[in-house]
Amino acid sequence: MSVSIQRLVAAAAAALAISGCGGSSSSGAAAAETGSATPAQLAIEKPQLKLGFIKLTDMVPLAIAYEKGYFEDEGLFVTLEPQANWKVLLDRVIDGELDGAHMLAGQPIAATIGFGTKADVVTAFSMDLNGNATTVSNEVWTAMLPRLPKDAQGKPMHPIGAGALKPVVQQFRANGKPFKMAMVFPVSTHNFELRYWLAAGGLHPGYYSPSDVSGQIDADVQISVTPPPQMPATLEAGTINGYSVGEPWNQQAIFRNVGVPVITDYEIWKNNPEKVFGVTKAWAEQNPNTHLAVVKALIRAAMWLDAGNGANRKEAAEIISRPEYVGADVQVIANSMTGTFEYGKGDVRSLPDFNVFFRYRATYPYYSDAIWYLTQMRRWGQIPEARPDQWYHDTARQVYLPDVYLRAASMLSAEGKASKSDFPFGTDGYRPPTAEFIDGVEYDGRQPNAYLQKFSIGLKGNDTVRGASSGD
Amino acid sequence: MSTLVSILRLERFPTLPRPRLHDVARHVGMPIVAILIFLFVWSRASAGIETTLGQIPGPAAVWQQAGALWADHVAERARAAAFYERQERRNAAILAADPAVRVAIADYTGKPTYIDQIVTSLKTVFAGFALASLLAIPLGIACGLSATINAGINPFIQIFRPVSPLAWLPIVTMVVSALYVSPDPMFEKSFINSAITVALCSLWPTLINTGHGVSSIDRDLMNVAKVLRLNWTTTLVKVVIPASLPLIFTGLRLSLGVGWMVLIAAEMLAQNPGLGKFVWDEFQNGSSDSLGRIMVAVFTIGIIGFLLDRVMLTVHRLVDFGSKR
Amino acid sequence: MSGDAFIEVRGVSKSFPSPGGARAVLREVSLEVRQGEFVAILGSMGSGKSTLLSILAGLLDPDAGSVTIGGERIRGIRSDAAFVFQNYSLLPWFTALENVRLAVGAAFPDLSRDEQRTRALRTLEKVGLGNAVARRPRQLSGGMRQRVAIARALATEPQVMFLDEPLGALDALTRESLQGELARLCGDGDGRVTTVMITNSVDEAILLADRIVPILPGPPATLGRPIEVALPRPRSAAQLAHDDAAAQVRTHVIATLTDAVVGRGAPKRCEGGPGAPDRVRPTIRTRELQPAAEETS
Repeated sequence: MSVSIQRLVAAAAAALAISGCGGSSSSGAAAAETGSATPAQLAIEKPQLKLGFIKLTDMVPLAIAYEKGYFEDEGLFVTLEPQANWKVLLDRVIDGELDGAHMLAGQPIAATIGFGTKADVVTAFSMDLNGNATTVSNEVWTAMLPRLPKDAQGKPMHPIGAGALKPVVQQFRANGKPFKMAMVFPVSTHNFELRYWLAAGGLHPGYYSPSDVSGQIDADVQISVTPPPQMPATLEAGTINGYSVGEPWNQQAIFRNVGVPVITDYEIWKNNPEKVFGVTKAWAEQNPNTHLAVVKALIRAAMWLDAGNGANRKEAAEIISRPEYVGADVQVIANSMTGTFEYGKGDVRSLPDFNVFFRYRATYPYYSDAIWYLTQMRRWGQIPEARPDQWYHDTARQVYLPDVYLRAASMLSAEGKASKSDFPFGTDGYRPPTAEFIDGVEYDGRQPNAYLQKFSIGLKGNDTVRGASSGD
Repeated sequence: MSTLVSILRLERFPTLPRPRLHDVARHVGMPIVAILIFLFVWSRASAGIETTLGQIPGPAAVWQQAGALWADHVAERARAAAFYERQERRNAAILAADPAVRVAIADYTGKPTYIDQIVTSLKTVFAGFALASLLAIPLGIACGLSATINAGINPFIQIFRPVSPLAWLPIVTMVVSALYVSPDPMFEKSFINSAITVALCSLWPTLINTGHGVSSIDRDLMNVAKVLRLNWTTTLVKVVIPASLPLIFTGLRLSLGVGWMVLIAAEMLAQNPGLGKFVWDEFQNGSSDSLGRIMVAVFTIGIIGFLLDRVMLTVHRLVDFGSKR
Repeated sequence: MSGDAFIEVRGVSKSFPSPGGARAVLREVSLEVRQGEFVAILGSMGSGKSTLLSILAGLLDPDAGSVTIGGERIRGIRSDAAFVFQNYSLLPWFTALENVRLAVGAAFPDLSRDEQRTRALRTLEKVGLGNAVARRPRQLSGGMRQRVAIARALATEPQVMFLDEPLGALDALTRESLQGELARLCGDGDGRVTTVMITNSVDEAILLADRIVPILPGPPATLGRPIEVALPRPRSAAQLAHDDAAAQVRTHVIATLTDAVVGRGAPKRCEGGPGAPDRVRPTIRTRELQPAAEETS
């Protein structure tokens, strides 16, 4: 007996000795000068930060800002912590456990208007454009393939509209099986883009109502939430027939032979805003300098990612393939990160703008981006009643903070790390109207209600949703 | 452990005939053989199963991943050391230029390594376990001493005991968020949430066993206290508690086991940076190494649970004075 | 005999609930014990002796009747009483010294801890355990444990001692040697402690007691006429083995008990104030004598 005690004590002592000083954040030093090579004029209120992210490839600006020392240059000591899912991430930011996080563009908006947990969440930095795709199961793809127009080599022509999916869905329902698809969060870009694509092809993706938040009222296709890591497995099991998610999960499906990506969001809406860096309003007000410092570091990271026509992308893929970041195999990540996309086994096509981090003014928080999300939330019933245009503009201004962004940008220019022309200094916050959608409908952020009128499927005007979820 | 003891005994009496050898063969040889068979079956079976996360890793792959995790830990420690060195140099340069400046001393903010995560899990389980014991032992003693109190508390025990940690966690999270508001908290909220959840799930065995132990102490011992006219406190401290220690420790041992299991589940959702979070993060990674690393975690969790149990058993034996009076 | 009774038991009855209704264990038992007297209550197992002793000591309340000690009715356990159990009942997690010290501390709370320890040590030496004080009960033999229990009782300097078959759990050899010790400790010396002891051994009772009260089996149990043991002290087993007077007492006692067992004749009761105890007058029946106790010599 005594022998075993001695062993235990020795092992325990060894373990404790090895663990040494822990690495996580703790209460940091008070505000002080950092003494880095570039004199920092900012008095950082809170140098030790904990930022959250979800394991998707577009968290890469955060990883680069850390690994390349951009955070440190600003006097920030940042811990990046992966979170279990989007809800937990949002709750912890609101709770104060995280100072800020990699967020879905819809999350600050939904939180501010009170869909889901109500809290004042703001953003001053848009992390990327594009970056997600929709995958269907092998069974569905086989059913779709015959009707798709092919090119000279017999490969299907892209983009594939949901019109090609419609007969398959009808076939399923005729056989008494509901057609199910998954996305990552009720206010995620994936949800809205998937619904946009389905509606453009004549399929009804379902409504939300105040009493029924499943989002499946009147649906032809039943859409629900599934955590990304479980998507390939549930697709294989047949529990869902398709999903819309960021990378690496679409390329994983090809890699593992469980499904086929049919469309990327680049093709649904060219250069759509995808993720933002979100913080609570209270935090931003209490820590203005820290906020600026974070945005500065993120801008530099974004610039690095898009520098030299994708010269740094390979290194970026290697960095985020580490288990503490995204962790997927590097060859799976490298595809989309280096500007290609594998649509089918062996069918690799060039898609240099699958991830856009800085080009096309990707990082500026345009009001019109926020308003697009608001219109889609209205379209599907997450905003249950009609709102005047001014409400949309006001809400966007509550959530998006372009002046913080521009201050950060001018500081970077003054320090010589960027040039003024890189940033849209003169803009009023609205992108010019664009019709680069899969269905060609023009979007003008200045006229949200008029935009809604243009759709055949979806709420518009004074419509409300009545009744509960339809049976199938 | 008893196997070691039997070996020791063997060495002390080398002239003992074959029956001793048979004993050793059974207690040491058999487990070894069983483990070898298990490893063989595992490596065969894993080669045949292909999942969406890749092939199920065999023993070799898992061993390799364990080595990778260790190497990772060592590398991270080196990075931390480099960071502190950089910082020192930087601060020294500043102070050399102008001694009046206040320099910032920051902590290294790298990720927690596998060893860090193990230590965090252990700290959390002990915090939860301590909290549970603090609640359960006094309450258990009260239940054991008074049938009335026991009747009152029993319904709650029966109803709350089967509740899973995943059901407690949201409630605990919200309550902690509401009550634990401080600009510079001493403990991370994730740590507190996990510890409280562990406490809520693991206090029941201790409570029940303590109550049982106290209520079933030998009537003779209570008579001794009576005839010696010991006052209530003395009776409690010198008679009741020592007499019920064996059952209290049985309860504590069970509680620690339950707590360790619950912890892993709680950590996954509460995001406490321990082994539970490690497993969930690896699952989200979905890389070809992920399953192997998750299995390393499974074995780590099992081995630590076993060691914890042995520690408790040893402590239990120390306080069991036997029934010879 | 009445008048200077120190312990008076009057009409005590006790029943216990049982599946078939209440079981009467004692019925209207009365007894007197003088100050400084050593009384042995003698009977076979299960005859209700322990119940009676427990009631005397204040561990149990009677259903009817009363017990007075020193003129006042007892209310629970008296502070100047000591009890020795059949099963030693030492606290197994304390050493012998600590066990005794605990008792001393409870009886004399004003003493400092050191003084308590000194007293405990002295008592342990008196019972011959001076060099085993640091051992725990599981490291002591049965005989030694019982000595500790006795020391624990004596250390509190009680006015009354209640001994519940103190040597009953020991083997015969140890029992004999301890009987001598007990005789020395409780019986001899000045300022003798009033003692009531339960035993199932006639020889033990004769060795130690001034008076033997046979308990006649029931249920419910009743007390037979007390039998004086007017033998000089100090007594020893060897000496008593050849003593005629002792033999007579023995015969008388056995006969009394046998009477009750075999004949189930009119049980001899003590009503109200007890009458004069029987002197040595054995009553021999024509039926075969069956020994109520082990010894027949």
